[in-house]
Amino acid sequence: MSRPYDAIIVGAGHNGLTTAARLAKAGLRVLALERRDTVGGALVTKEIHPGFKVDAACHQIGALHPDVVGDLDQALGVTPDIVRCDPVVFAPLIDGRHLLLWRDPATTAKAIATLSKSDAENWGSFVELITKAAGLLETAYERTPPDLLSVDASDLWSLVRLGGRARRLGKREMMEVARILTMTVAELLDEWFESDLLKGTLGTTGVTGMFQGPMAAGTAYMLLHNHVGTENGTVRSADRVRGGVGVLSHAFRDLARSCGVEIRTNAPVTRIAIKNGRATGVVLANGDEIEAERVISNADPRRTFLDLVDPLDLAPRFVRQVQNIKYRGACAKVNLALDTLPNFTSGDAAHLGGVVSISPSLDYLERAYDDAKYGEISREPYLEAIIPSLTDPSLAPAGKHVMSILVQYAPYHLKGDAWDDSRNSELADRAVDTLAQYAPNLEQIVLARHVLSPRDLETDFGLTEGNIYHGEMTLDQLFFMRPVPGWARYRTPIENLYLCGAGTHPGGGVTARPGYNAAREIVKDVKRS
Amino acid sequence: MAAGRYDAIVIGGGHNGLVAAAYLARAGKKVLVLERRHLVGGAAVTEEVYPGFKYSVCSYVVSLLRPEIIRELDLSAHGLDLLPLESTVTPLPNGDYLARWADHDQTRRELYRHSPRDAEAYDEFGKLMYHLAFAVKPILSMVPPDPASLSPGDLRSLLKLTNHFRGLGDEKLYSLIKLMTMSSADYLDEWFETEALKATMSASGVIGTFLGPRSPGTAYVLLHHYMGEIDGAFRAWGFAKGGTGSVSEAIASAARGFGAEIRTEASVARVIIENGRAAGVAMESGDEIRANVVVSGIDPRRTFLGLIEPDELPSEFVRAIRRFRIRGSSGKVNLALDALPNLACLPGTGPHLRGAVSISPSIEYLERAYDDAKYGSFSRHPYMDIVIPSMIDPDMAPSGKHVMSIFVQYAPYELNGGWNDARHEEFGDAVIDTLSEYMPNLKDIILHRQVLTPWDMERDFGLTEGNIFHGELSLHQLFFMRPAAPWADYHTPIRDFYQCGSGTHPGGGISGASGRLAALTMLEDM
Repeated sequence: MSRPYDAIIVGAGHNGLTTAARLAKAGLRVLALERRDTVGGALVTKEIHPGFKVDAACHQIGALHPDVVGDLDQALGVTPDIVRCDPVVFAPLIDGRHLLLWRDPATTAKAIATLSKSDAENWGSFVELITKAAGLLETAYERTPPDLLSVDASDLWSLVRLGGRARRLGKREMMEVARILTMTVAELLDEWFESDLLKGTLGTTGVTGMFQGPMAAGTAYMLLHNHVGTENGTVRSADRVRGGVGVLSHAFRDLARSCGVEIRTNAPVTRIAIKNGRATGVVLANGDEIEAERVISNADPRRTFLDLVDPLDLAPRFVRQVQNIKYRGACAKVNLALDTLPNFTSGDAAHLGGVVSISPSLDYLERAYDDAKYGEISREPYLEAIIPSLTDPSLAPAGKHVMSILVQYAPYHLKGDAWDDSRNSELADRAVDTLAQYAPNLEQIVLARHVLSPRDLETDFGLTEGNIYHGEMTLDQLFFMRPVPGWARYRTPIENLYLCGAGTHPGGGVTARPGYNAAREIVKDVKRS
Repeated sequence: MAAGRYDAIVIGGGHNGLVAAAYLARAGKKVLVLERRHLVGGAAVTEEVYPGFKYSVCSYVVSLLRPEIIRELDLSAHGLDLLPLESTVTPLPNGDYLARWADHDQTRRELYRHSPRDAEAYDEFGKLMYHLAFAVKPILSMVPPDPASLSPGDLRSLLKLTNHFRGLGDEKLYSLIKLMTMSSADYLDEWFETEALKATMSASGVIGTFLGPRSPGTAYVLLHHYMGEIDGAFRAWGFAKGGTGSVSEAIASAARGFGAEIRTEASVARVIIENGRAAGVAMESGDEIRANVVVSGIDPRRTFLGLIEPDELPSEFVRAIRRFRIRGSSGKVNLALDALPNLACLPGTGPHLRGAVSISPSIEYLERAYDDAKYGSFSRHPYMDIVIPSMIDPDMAPSGKHVMSIFVQYAPYELNGGWNDARHEEFGDAVIDTLSEYMPNLKDIILHRQVLTPWDMERDFGLTEGNIFHGELSLHQLFFMRPAAPWADYHTPIRDFYQCGSGTHPGGGISGASGRLAALTMLEDM
């Protein structure tokens, strides 16, 4: 009678492994199935040139859910070594000036003072506001989104108030956070600062991974999203993993295994088996069918419902909702093997340990977006470059370096033609040419280039349309609207089928929060049944 | 002059100020309206700028005038006569056009010609919008509560509001939330495929905003188009006989009928504040006029930063008003024409000239127009909404001749290098040149042209930065945040001083709702 597994996880990305581990801890027999030959999804460290290793796709991690950090600690005895650089950001200008953001707000304020005195004066209050606002969001992120139609309306508001009080926010501060949520990041920053470079460099956190420019409503929310759970006072922090993000993938794998999860790689799922409206297991590409009490998909909502589920098992309205989820990947990766360290015309090498941000102004970001809006690769893209070999020499041969560059905007939907080798190479040229304006020796020191277009991100990592968040993080696709309105509580219209990926609340980033929340809801259902 | 003290002084004789005055006078209060210009109406005026030709100088169509105001002030008896605008025609670059007519079947056939799928979806879409417009309607007639307040009144109001929304059921509620947060282009992409249809519908979502059709937050204005219909008073867009000024005249006449006094060429210099209370106004002339309460119909920036000493206001509030976004984005060109323009796509005269002509061939066209403005230029190829009022009301121009009203977007207030006479004319030329591509005979029939840039609108009509809505209608400047929380309920930090302009909820357009709600709030306090 009883099926061999209590739960099958489709896709062993970090959220899937988080859910798997927590379910196994709760006593369930869990099987995690991964299409690729390695787990961790986009958290992968790859040798792009003999002796040169780099985080091929995702190159920095968000703030992991504290309980998940605890799990990792407990299970492994040692958490992956997180590299916390200082300064966190080095943002150069062509004219030789530059901006540094440090972990300590007072040091940052001093650095900002070279650009604008009044901006330096405002820095402390701004950081305080962002910290408080992100704190309030964190309260919402810890919870499963309420069902608007069943929860009592006053409960909803009292929930917010409760969160606010827990964060020691006054009424007016909460109103201020509410106001910010729908603003554009450009408006928010214009209210606080005058320096174009500072605004551009902060504005990037509102648009990274988004098919939006900084003048789009909802991008201020994205800035807050990127600061949930981060170290207090540090803005635009970019944590890395020593040895590469692949180390974190292995840690998640080891954690899951130590909890009793069975992991199979090279096991692509082609279909979720459904009988009488209930998920009963999965069918693999080799034709094997594996039964389980419930199926949990870490794939994004579109793949889950439009590829893995027979549409006849879903209501047409739900199918339409899923079809309407916006993906539209906006960024790409260009990874370089370098013969030596790039020579920036401003600043010094000691500043290059964190993120090198090419973001001279909000207008620059917006213009980069304008190109993408009409289906073109940005002529002058926003770049977020990291040289991990500076802090982690094991990644490259002695004296040599690797550079990982997030390039935005690179629209998934190109006008006219599709992504191919020549467009990939065009993208790499744009990135290198742009960066070379700030580091003139760059072109001469490139030994090898490795490019992941949005199309490659889709093909290699199963990210629909190359969207790194499993669905745009726009206001209409958040909270109780994520992935689709009415189904934001990790459950789906198919009984015993759940979602646990970044396509669910609270969305993208390496945080393990969707997987954590999903596990909590599933355990609730298990106890009930 | 009149010795007796007034119960209320209204600063600014725009349509909202007049509505407020009418409601206060109707309740028996002694009211004085002070208008800087020589005529009332603010941005809703008809002026004979060129002999024999009457221009609705700024605002040119009426869509949202609250039916309860028409009814309660009996505006029809005061000469208000709204005539429907019958159609919208969008000329296309390929020589074709897309039209939407008053007649439903005719529109359907026309849409079918472009896309059978869209013809189907159009009815479905209309039905949903109709329901959502119903859902939103009560909000427009409601004083915004303060969600952070614990007062029983606010909580009651909040609870009523949430119950109202939950009563919609999931499908409509979620559609409404999507409509509030999405861009009009994305929202319409879910429904339609015809570019010109999406663009023309989106255009109504970006009018008066500094946003493009791909900017989130522009979708909800799609509702406005359906709002007029549900009121049953007139179709979606109406035109006032005698021009938009006749709306103001009708309201002014109603106010006078209730006993209100209206003074024109009476410019207020500042609000007199004594012991933290408004006690009257000081005029530019030096005169002081006393009243129990004062209400301002001018925009929040002018009101609080222009008429009040900053130290009379809490610094937090001053900061909120300073950062209240009020960027102008549109211009206006009015033409006196010797004959009718000839549309290349629909030559000759015809019913299409009794409606609007929309220059909005594609989303990309609008978006590129917006891109110019983002970086401080006026659009080289702007979005234009054109009506020929003399086709509907022959009294607007001499016999056989015509007036044309061209709403133009985008024209940023903050133009690179600043506005001057030369730029002013260049802007006018860009409009005429672009329009001539669709109306080949246009340049030959122009007798007179009036060009209004945002800068002109600020100078002539007191619209700060030329913003036609007294403040952008972006999500964070709506409802309980308009113009600034917690002062969205028509009160201000100064006792006995109120606000009733378009910079308060619900703002925008000739709706009169702000004026009415402000007056009702004041009467409750009195």
